[in-house]
Amino acid sequence: MKRMKHVVSMIVSVFLVSTSAGWAQDSVKLVLDGSTTVGPVAKAFAEYYMEKNPDVNVTVNESGSGNGAKSLINSTCDVANMSRFMKVTEFSAAVDKGVLPVAHVVAMDGLPVLVHPSNPVSGLTIGQIRDIYMGKITNWKDVGGPNLQIVVVSRDTNSGTYETFHELVMTHTVDGESVKEKIKDGAEYVGSNGAIRARVQSTPAAIGYAGLGFVDKSVKALDVNGVAPSPLTVVSGKYAIARPLFMFTNGYPKLGSHTYSFVTLHLTEEGQEIIEDIGFVPVTKY
Amino acid sequence: MRISTRKLLDRSFSSVGVISIALMGLILLVILVPIFRKGIGALVFEATVEHRRLILDNFDHGDDLELAAEIKSAREARQPVYEMVQAFESRQQAKIDSLRPDLETLAERDDSMGRLVARRLKRLGPDEDFLEQVETIQQLVPRLREYGDGDDAPKEIAAISSGITRITSQTLAFAELKEVLYDLLGPAPGEPMPQLTRKQYGQTRWEKARETIDHLFFIERWDYSGPGMGTLVREPRVEQFRETEIEPLFAYVEGHAEAMLQPRWTLYWGFLTDKPLDSHIFGGIYPELIGTIYLTLGAILFAVPIGIIAAIYFTEYAKAGRLISFLRACVSTLAGVPSIVFGMFGLAFFLNVWQLPKGVLAGSLTLALLILPVIIRASEEAIRSVPHTYREAALSLGAGRWRTIVTVILPAALPGILTGIVISMGRAAGETAPIIFTAAASVAAPLSLNPLQAWDQPTAALSWNIYNLCTEHEAADEIRHVQFGMVAVLITVVLALNLFAIILRARIAKKLKG
Repeated sequence: MKRMKHVVSMIVSVFLVSTSAGWAQDSVKLVLDGSTTVGPVAKAFAEYYMEKNPDVNVTVNESGSGNGAKSLINSTCDVANMSRFMKVTEFSAAVDKGVLPVAHVVAMDGLPVLVHPSNPVSGLTIGQIRDIYMGKITNWKDVGGPNLQIVVVSRDTNSGTYETFHELVMTHTVDGESVKEKIKDGAEYVGSNGAIRARVQSTPAAIGYAGLGFVDKSVKALDVNGVAPSPLTVVSGKYAIARPLFMFTNGYPKLGSHTYSFVTLHLTEEGQEIIEDIGFVPVTKY
Repeated sequence: MRISTRKLLDRSFSSVGVISIALMGLILLVILVPIFRKGIGALVFEATVEHRRLILDNFDHGDDLELAAEIKSAREARQPVYEMVQAFESRQQAKIDSLRPDLETLAERDDSMGRLVARRLKRLGPDEDFLEQVETIQQLVPRLREYGDGDDAPKEIAAISSGITRITSQTLAFAELKEVLYDLLGPAPGEPMPQLTRKQYGQTRWEKARETIDHLFFIERWDYSGPGMGTLVREPRVEQFRETEIEPLFAYVEGHAEAMLQPRWTLYWGFLTDKPLDSHIFGGIYPELIGTIYLTLGAILFAVPIGIIAAIYFTEYAKAGRLISFLRACVSTLAGVPSIVFGMFGLAFFLNVWQLPKGVLAGSLTLALLILPVIIRASEEAIRSVPHTYREAALSLGAGRWRTIVTVILPAALPGILTGIVISMGRAAGETAPIIFTAAASVAAPLSLNPLQAWDQPTAALSWNIYNLCTEHEAADEIRHVQFGMVAVLITVVLALNLFAIILRARIAKKLKG
C-alpha cells in the first residue's frame, strides 16, 4: 500500500509540474475532416505543414465528403475536404448557422473504372457502365468479356465520389430531359476508395470506381469512351469521369493565417509536386 | 440410474469440457500467433541501408560515421548500374540527335507541320531530360503520318517517323525499367530530392527490396488471348534489352543486390517511439500509442468514481423496489448497447450540445459512458461478496454507515473492483466506434504530455488507425507490416492490462487474507 501511495503522489506531482510549465503556451490547431479521396493529399500536406510549422497541430480525419460538410456546418472543423461541390441543402444549412463555405480547388481527379487485371475487357462506354450499374447488363459477356456475372461495387452514398459518379455516369438525357438513374439494388456499397480497390483486386468479376490516386497495378483501369484515364486526359476533359477536389473553409481565410497558408499550399511548387506524386493532377501545371 | 451410467456420463461431461477448453486455446493460438509473428515484423526485420539513412535523416538515431561508410560502399556498388543506364541514355540521345538534321529541314517548311516541328525542336537537345525528349518526338508521329499522306509531303517523312518509332519503343521499356530501379534504390545521385518521403528513399525493407528486384527481372502482364479470363504471364525483362548497354545490368544486380542495399537484421525500437512519416509508410506509431493511453486513462478517470459511487448506492443505500430494479435493468441494458451507439451519442451530446471540441476529452467521456456499466456491475458484485459479518462487526463497534463503507467494505471489495476497472481499461483501449466521431484523426501530431494542452486535440489512436490503414490508406498493400505491428501492439496492451488485473487481484487478496 505504501508503495502505491508513493506512485500516486509521483503521478500527481508530475502532472502538477507539467501543468504549471505548459499553462501559458497554447498550440495552434487546424482540424481537417472529410473525403477519403482528398485524404492522401490532406495527410501529406498536414505532414509537410507541421514540419515547416512545428507549433501547429494539423489533424486530418477521413470520414467522407458528407461528414466533412457537416463538420464545417457545425464548426467542428476548419477545413472540409470534399471530392464534390457542396449541395444546395448543405449550403443553406451552413448559411443558416452563419457559416459561409468557400471552395478551394486543390487538385483534379479522374474516376477510373476498375476491374480485375485478369478481366479481358479493356474499355467501356459511359452508356455501358450506366447499364451495368443499373442492372441492365449483368454479365461480362454482354460487353465482350467472359461469361461471368458482374459484381457491382459502389462507394457509399455519403461519399463525394459516389455523388460524382452518380452525376457524370448515372445521369443522362432522355428525350431532352435529364434523368438520374438509380444504382441497382444488388450493388455492394463500401466505405472508402481503398476498400473498393481491395474488393476489386480480390474479385475477378467485380467492377468499381475510385480516385486516380488509389489506382495501382493490382487493378486495371478501363478506357472510358475510348480514353484511358491519365493526368493529361483528366485535365483536358477528354476523360469523361473527371472532377476537381475541394477544400472548403468558412469564408475566405484571413490572409497570413495558418488556414490560409494551408489551403493555398497546392499553389506552391512543393504542393504541386506532392499532389502529382500521390497520383492526382495539380491545378496549375498543365 | 445405475452407478456405471452415472460414471460414464460424468466422464463424458468432463471430457467435453476439456475438449472445449483445448479448442478455445487452439483458436486463440491460431489467431494470435500469426498476428504476433507478422506484427513483430514491424520491429525486427532486415533493414537496408536506405532504412538506416531514413532513420538518421528524420529521427537522428544511429551512428552517422558508420552510416557514411555504408552509404559510400553502397553507392560504389550502385555506380555500375547508373553507368549502364547513362550509357544507354547517351546512345539513345545520339539517335535522337541523328534525327535532328531531317527534322530541321522539315521545320523550314512554311506550313503548320513546319511550325509544329520548329516548336518541338526547341525542346530537344542534350540539356533536356531524356525521357521528356522522347515523349516530345513521340507525339509527332501521328501528325507526321497524317501529313505524309498529303500530296506535297517530302518523301523522307516516312523514314523520319519510322526512325522515331524505333527509338520510342525501346525507350518506353527503358522508362519502365528506370521506374523500377527508382523504386529499388531511390533517386540517383544528383537527381533532385522530391518532397514526399516515399520518393526520397529506396526500399527500406529487404523483403520488399527482393520483391522489387523480382519486378526488375520479370515483366508481369496479362494475356487475354485465350477464352475466358486472362492469365498472368511473366517474361524476363532482359529480353527487351538484348545487345544494349542495359543487358549486363540484370546479371550485375543479381550478383550485387546485397552490396547495393546492405541488408542487416535490425531491431527498430523507434516503431514505438517515433512519429509516423509520410502517412505511416515509414516511421513509428508513437501518436497512436500515446493517444490510446490518453483516451483509456481519461475514460477510467471519469468512469471509476461515478461507477463505484453508483455501485455503493445500489448495494448499500438503495431499498429494493421497482425503481431500483428498473435502474439495474437499465445498467445491464447499457452494457449490451453496441459501441457505435455510444459514438453517435457522444457526437450528438458532447460535441453538438455541450459544444466540446472534437478531441481527447470528448472521446474519453464517450468511452467512460461505454465502460460505466461494466464498472458498476463489477463493483456491485465485489461489494456484495464482502461477507455480511464484516458489516455487522463494523457497525457493532460503533462505526457509522459511511465509515463502514469506506474503511471496511471498500478495502475488502477492492480486488474485485480493480479487476473490473482494469478489464474495462482493455475494453476502452480497443474500442473504435465511440471515438470515430468524438476524438479520432488519421494524422495528427503526437499529443502533448501535458493534459491541459492535450484535452482539446483530436488524436490518432491504435484501434481507429488500424481500421484506417487497412481500408482507407492509399498504399494499404504496401504497409501490411505497419498494420500488423499496430494490431500486435494493441493486443499486447490489452493482454498486459488483463495480466496486470490478475496479478493485482491475487496480491491484494493475499494481503487481505494475511
